[in-house]
Amino acid sequence: MAISPEYLGLLRASINSSPEWKQAWERTNDYLDALRIPADLERELLLLSSFERAIARKRKEPSTPATELAFDEAQKALDATLADLISEKVPADRRSVEERVRVYLMQPTQNSVLSPGNRLSNDVLAALRDVRLEAVPRLQQAAITPRPFALNSAGERLASLAGKFSLLGSNRILAWIVGLCLVGLLIYMSL
Amino acid sequence: MSGPGRSARLVELVGSTRLGEVFRRKVRQRRWGVTLVTLCVAAIGLWLFSDISGSTGWSPIKVLELVVFSVLFTTLAFGFTQAFVGFLVLAEGHEPLKITNTLDENTPLASTAVVMPIFNEDVATVFGNIRTLYRSLQKRGELETFEFYILSDSTQPEKLVEEELAWADLCRQTNGFGRIHYRRRKVPVNRKSGNIADFCRRWGHRHRYMVVLDADSIMTGESVASLVRLMEVNPRAGIIQTMPKLVGSETIFGRIQQFASRLYSPLFAAGLNYWQQGAGNYWGHNAILRMSPFLTSCSLPILPGPEPLGGKILSHDFVEAALMRDAGWEVWFAYDLEGSYEGLPPNLTEYIKRDRRWAQGNLQHVWFLLADRVQPISRLHLIQGILAYSSAPILVLFICLAGIQAALDHFRGHTSSIPIPSAIVLALLTLLLLFGPKLLSVLHLFAQPDLLRRFGGAKRAIAGVAMETFFSVLTAPLLVWFHTRFVLRNLAGQKVVWNTQTREGGSGPRWIEALREYWPVPVAGVIFGILAWWISPMYLLWITPLLLGLWLAIPIAQISGRSGVLRRLFQTPEEIEPPRELSKAEPFQLRAGDQFVHAILDPFYNAIHVALQRRRAAHAPERNEHLEDLANKLFEGGPAALTAEEKRALLSDGPTLTKLHILVWRTPAEKMNPFWAEALRAYRNEQPVTP
Repeated sequence: MAISPEYLGLLRASINSSPEWKQAWERTNDYLDALRIPADLERELLLLSSFERAIARKRKEPSTPATELAFDEAQKALDATLADLISEKVPADRRSVEERVRVYLMQPTQNSVLSPGNRLSNDVLAALRDVRLEAVPRLQQAAITPRPFALNSAGERLASLAGKFSLLGSNRILAWIVGLCLVGLLIYMSL
Repeated sequence: MSGPGRSARLVELVGSTRLGEVFRRKVRQRRWGVTLVTLCVAAIGLWLFSDISGSTGWSPIKVLELVVFSVLFTTLAFGFTQAFVGFLVLAEGHEPLKITNTLDENTPLASTAVVMPIFNEDVATVFGNIRTLYRSLQKRGELETFEFYILSDSTQPEKLVEEELAWADLCRQTNGFGRIHYRRRKVPVNRKSGNIADFCRRWGHRHRYMVVLDADSIMTGESVASLVRLMEVNPRAGIIQTMPKLVGSETIFGRIQQFASRLYSPLFAAGLNYWQQGAGNYWGHNAILRMSPFLTSCSLPILPGPEPLGGKILSHDFVEAALMRDAGWEVWFAYDLEGSYEGLPPNLTEYIKRDRRWAQGNLQHVWFLLADRVQPISRLHLIQGILAYSSAPILVLFICLAGIQAALDHFRGHTSSIPIPSAIVLALLTLLLLFGPKLLSVLHLFAQPDLLRRFGGAKRAIAGVAMETFFSVLTAPLLVWFHTRFVLRNLAGQKVVWNTQTREGGSGPRWIEALREYWPVPVAGVIFGILAWWISPMYLLWITPLLLGLWLAIPIAQISGRSGVLRRLFQTPEEIEPPRELSKAEPFQLRAGDQFVHAILDPFYNAIHVALQRRRAAHAPERNEHLEDLANKLFEGGPAALTAEEKRALLSDGPTLTKLHILVWRTPAEKMNPFWAEALRAYRNEQPVTP
């Protein structure tokens, strides 16, 4: 990218002189920080070129906030830079997500995501294009059917008896009365 | 000669059919032996008790008391017998009938799923533990046949997001994409057993074996590989359960449990294996299961009647073992297989909360005692599980009956004239049954100088045992109190909510919380004390050890959660010399703060979450409108403006989340809720991840 240092200096000075553009600069920088893109020359160039376009747009759309313009332009620049990493079949509304997934996956490799074409081999690029984040493997379904539960004859009798006493469980007062009566009977019989 | 070589030699000598017969006869002898010793000890106790009780004549209360006593004393006698047999086995140094004798390191491994069902658990612990096992297998060069499944039933929106990024981080760290899987169920039907069943339905035919882990389970690669090998060389084994050692506790309560379990359980474990052999039990985790019989035979039935005692089975493990046995498969206990660990609740309150769920689950097993096709030994396991909780109300009943009888004697002016020698012998026998296993464990420890050193040396081990015994005397009445309440509530038809456990320690519950949760216990203790004194001072003296725990419930509960108390006591070998895998269990680093907010703001959280969402079919216009309203509400009011349900709805829609992410980042600070402007600042100067 052939931009003169003088021009870059002027651009930075003008960004810093306006509070609105300064906030836009900080926000866009924060986003690149959140993407953990290292603060190197490539990032600086991406930012400045984005801001150059955002400033130009501001002249045509004065009511649009600078932060919005700068962020959109930075996003477009990222889209263009990372286009190599994403299959053309990915729909436009999904590209930003897929870009971030690839930036995430490339993090530990310490390759600069802003110039992947220069640093990544064709194999890696092809692999990245094919990436589809899948948390589960392909299904290999099996059927499991619960075994019917069968009580033996003693169980049947006990279940039916328990059914008859279910009222005690649902009525606490009745349960207390019956319990106390039983204790009373026991005491009476033991006297 | 040991291991498979020995088995092969035996087969050569006597033939495989004959060997099977010899084995069965030996196991029968062992079971009869344990039964006879248990019954003899119980009979002596019963005889002494009836001698004491009958000395002043019999009454219906006394007969009932004798029946209750026989249940309690037989349970105690069985526990003691098991520990005593275990002591003999360990002292002898060689147990010919244990499954680990068949382990052959040269056995090829087979396709195995390592599954970890989770429910709103601590994400760093879950993924950290999986990473430990993954790396351990990787280091051994045995990763190839294993796949890992984190099966999430989590419902908290923050957890969902955190789990997804943790999964992606784990895969990225270990290069585990395609080998470490993460599956979330939107509706956690049938809780943990439903979670496992769902896994089986989806991927049941993908693997030959399944190793089940709990969220706080840690297993070494060696132990997991050994389990697979044991399965391969024992084709009749349906389940092999390991004996997990308790580790990682920082609180006084946790460390005491850890110490006690590490010191005493080897005896019980060896004794248990001695008689159960291939008719063992399954504890729900740190075990390996053979997929094919599990799929065909272990699907859980629906119990008759409504919850809590009927309906869906809450505690699935014992039942699955029983079903596996019924289908003709063996269930083994690899009690001496090293490298299996688990965490435990950090304080008494969390422990009791866990017991509340387990109590209900085990009480449901009563149905299986009355069911067809349950093997006798499986019934015994189920009875033991039921008695683990229902023995508390039985003990309370025993004390109450004794109290009523004492009161009757008091008011009728009967003076106590019990046969003193019988009373002394019974008291000594009871003490022997209660504390004998501890004594035998200490003897066993002192016979192994190296192990003794790893318990902190003789003085600390003895002091630890004394303090642990004192602590268990204080906490036992509390557990009796709560177990009684749980059992009675369940019998009265009250359900138990499935709560998440706090597995981490800390400074313990605040005094005010302990007071709020435990105040009825000391109040009841004082009332019982006054009643006992009124009945007879002797009766009060008799039940004072029980009342002491009730009176001190609040301080015990508070102190139980404290860290840094008595650090020099209760040391275990795993604490003094942590195995490589435990010492390397470095915490899993995740972004701190509100995970839901990260799902909106953090470019990676947002991307991973959206990428994992299923591509949606076109929504109905009303649904789109609803999602748009929610997004606006969130943007304008911040996360506090949404309910958990609304957050979940938003999280389920990738396109809306992507739009929100971009909207927040591109909006100037003055045009959005100050919450977002503040939250965005957290991302300044984020550093790239280093490999």
